[in-house]
Amino acid sequence: MSNSPIDQMDVHSSDLEAAQHNVDAAGDGAGAEGINQSPEIAAQPGHRTEIMSMQQALNLALREILGSDPKALVLGEDVGVLGGVFRITDGLQNEFGAERVFDTPLAESGILGMSVGLAMAGLHPIPEVQFDGFSYPAVNQIVCQLARMNYRSRGTLPMPVTLRVPSFGGIRAPELHGESLESLFAHVPGLKVVSPSSPHEAYHLLKYAASRPDPVVFMEPKSRYWQKGEVVFDDGISGSNGGSRSHGGASASTAVSSGATVASANLGSKVVRTGKHLTLIAWGAMVSRCLQVAELAAEDGIDIEVLDLRWLKPIDAEGLAASVGKTRRAVVVHEGPLTAGLGAEVAALATEHCFGSLKAPVERVTGFDVPYPSGDLEDEYIPNIDRILFGIQRVLEYRRG
Amino acid sequence: MTAHSVPHSDGETGAGETGPSGKEPTGKELRALYQLMVAVRHLDTSAVAWQRQGLIPGYAPELGQEAAQVGSGYAVDLSRDFVFPTYREMGVARAMGVDMVGYMSTHKASWHGGLYDPVKSRLAPIQAVVAGSVLHAVGWAHGQKLSGLPAEKQGVAVSYFGDGASSQGDVHEAMNFAAVMKAPVVFFTQNNGWAISVPTERQVAGGSVAARAAGYGIPALQIDGNDVVAVVRAMRTALAHCRAGYGPMVIEAMTYRRGPHSTSDDPGRYRTLDSESADAGTDPILMLRDRLLAEGLADEAFFAAALESAKVEEEQVRAGVGALAARPGSEMFDFVFQESTPALTGQARRWREESEHV
Amino acid sequence: MAEISFPLPDLGEGLIEATVLEWLVAPGDQVERNQPMVEVETTKSAVELPSPQAGKVVRIHGEPGGTIAVGEPLIVFEVPDNTAGIVGTVPAEEAPRRRVRLSALPEDD
Repeated sequence: MSNSPIDQMDVHSSDLEAAQHNVDAAGDGAGAEGINQSPEIAAQPGHRTEIMSMQQALNLALREILGSDPKALVLGEDVGVLGGVFRITDGLQNEFGAERVFDTPLAESGILGMSVGLAMAGLHPIPEVQFDGFSYPAVNQIVCQLARMNYRSRGTLPMPVTLRVPSFGGIRAPELHGESLESLFAHVPGLKVVSPSSPHEAYHLLKYAASRPDPVVFMEPKSRYWQKGEVVFDDGISGSNGGSRSHGGASASTAVSSGATVASANLGSKVVRTGKHLTLIAWGAMVSRCLQVAELAAEDGIDIEVLDLRWLKPIDAEGLAASVGKTRRAVVVHEGPLTAGLGAEVAALATEHCFGSLKAPVERVTGFDVPYPSGDLEDEYIPNIDRILFGIQRVLEYRRG
Repeated sequence: MTAHSVPHSDGETGAGETGPSGKEPTGKELRALYQLMVAVRHLDTSAVAWQRQGLIPGYAPELGQEAAQVGSGYAVDLSRDFVFPTYREMGVARAMGVDMVGYMSTHKASWHGGLYDPVKSRLAPIQAVVAGSVLHAVGWAHGQKLSGLPAEKQGVAVSYFGDGASSQGDVHEAMNFAAVMKAPVVFFTQNNGWAISVPTERQVAGGSVAARAAGYGIPALQIDGNDVVAVVRAMRTALAHCRAGYGPMVIEAMTYRRGPHSTSDDPGRYRTLDSESADAGTDPILMLRDRLLAEGLADEAFFAAALESAKVEEEQVRAGVGALAARPGSEMFDFVFQESTPALTGQARRWREESEHV
Repeated sequence: MAEISFPLPDLGEGLIEATVLEWLVAPGDQVERNQPMVEVETTKSAVELPSPQAGKVVRIHGEPGGTIAVGEPLIVFEVPDNTAGIVGTVPAEEAPRRRVRLSALPEDD
């Protein structure tokens, strides 16, 4: 269990709380196989499902969070009256009032710095930075304050802050509206980072992230906001968990069993397509592209597994090792630039865990080491189907010696 | 919604010396300003139509801000000054004579910063980040003092930003630096009443950006930004103040964003048509038109000719924008460094092999 | 695509209807917010009503000379289901296209 991502998740301010969560973690560990081997819980009877877009799923999740956690707040630029520039916070101010869902002046450093103070006051801020690139003015507050306050205060001032960031490219937007910041955030001690790939993941991961006692950067793949998909509701679990978020972090009122179920469903990576020849590892918008690539590769007789990494910090090393250890070949795909991108971390982890069985070095198919380009060139920049196929081909062709 | 106040006369709110007073625009200049404002309005409303027609993916209209933009851009000395825009300064660019196809290319998604030459045109690349370039103006201006150029050749930096951008910490830093260093900067705020959906009264504590200047010891003018004469007068005053070595100056041009924030914005979600007509103030083009008529400087034929010429210009710009092909993908790699790296060269090679020549 | 309908607004105290004088937009037109849309006459005056919405006109109600009651539908716009964010576009879902075929056969030993 020492490398379990769940252990890494559960860093708490007191031994008592840590002990409580180790109980949860033990339950999660037992369910780890289920996380990786059962991508769709839709098949389970008795679960309510609904088709919705990621926009709608995120909106619903925020509505439920605000409804069940009286300390939750939504703040940011245009999140109130307008309902967000992508409509993610639509209707929330009407429903929960302008004290809990409010527009701030236009200053990202201010939004994040204020969120730190709100958390110190015992609230659970869910700030929105309107676009990925607008995180840069807030980096000082994110890195120097948000990420370290728990540490600086020796656990007495936890930072239950869920920072929503519409992220990545693909919508022909202006400059600094298409950035991939996961490696920047993942590199900062004290931050956790997650990115959903589908409406289902968006709904559940946001609710889960907002229930945690640590700061989580929630990277929403904006090019996937509009695509619809099935969201499976684990009714009776999400509601009870949502209401139990407590300031100190450990959810004393959460039953161990339901807490463990929620955690096991929402932590770690997820195999979204099983295969035997090679694992494609991706997150955010690249997951659906990799699923398309897997379909095309099947036409050529190559059976590809697709692993949705989901958590970019902590990375689910066990889930990664389980998949790559089985297929013995791996290609990691991301939009961000190659150099010092998160793909390097994934490749290192896969190599550490699977060195003996790997048939080829882990290949990275990524954006280039260039500023994210203007709309006319973004299809040249974002890994496309052909570039991913080339990467797969290189791995398949690789021979030792 | 509280009415967005538009003062009817210049009101100085700052402290300290203002330097020599500005010059009134002449009759000939007023006619030129009118032609420019009509050209800008026609191009601006046409760009919204281009977006509806699929020619460009998006646009940030400046409807209603023609006087503030044209008047201020017109006063700049292109031989020595340098202008730092945001992303809604088409009228400034046009008044400065910037190539409009090169400017509009940012909205065509050809190149984020625009395809015009910023050095030759004296207009820094289009800036997508609010308040992103305000400190650059301070640095450029201080650089003038370090340049060794004779005083009459030293330029003034003009920094454009909005009421929303004034909330960013960088604006505080910029004003403080400029005042401490007596850098020749005109901080030209277009207070257009709205930062996407948030009105000025929920954005700017105290209601005025110009009022903040007093805290830095910077003189400031809050003017009717819909009155192009007031804009030119204030801008010439500020430029003269800077050129005389008195340091920076703040101008807050009170105007109104009559259109949406961008072509996919829906202002109906946060303001009513009634509030728009109540808060917008006088249409800047009509205000100048009335003045030209009252002073006998122009007639209907002149106005008709100005519109006709604006239409011809729009046709040319439209054709140029339509003809813009996607930039070659190699340019992604070419402009990252002056001296590229082996890793980047390798990535460019692989890009060519995999994306260009399959 | 969804539709959004706007009723004839109350044009003045106590007025309950207006007569359409002239439509300035037609079905199929792309109009901008605040663009003059229709000229109507009440018992008090003739007024030009601006469009409350940017969008494509689907239907207009009331022929010139006809009467519309306050609150009755005046104009209907088409609103896309997928509204783009404040900038950028909604990416089109396209069938995957490829130029590269995988040729190597994995040796599974």
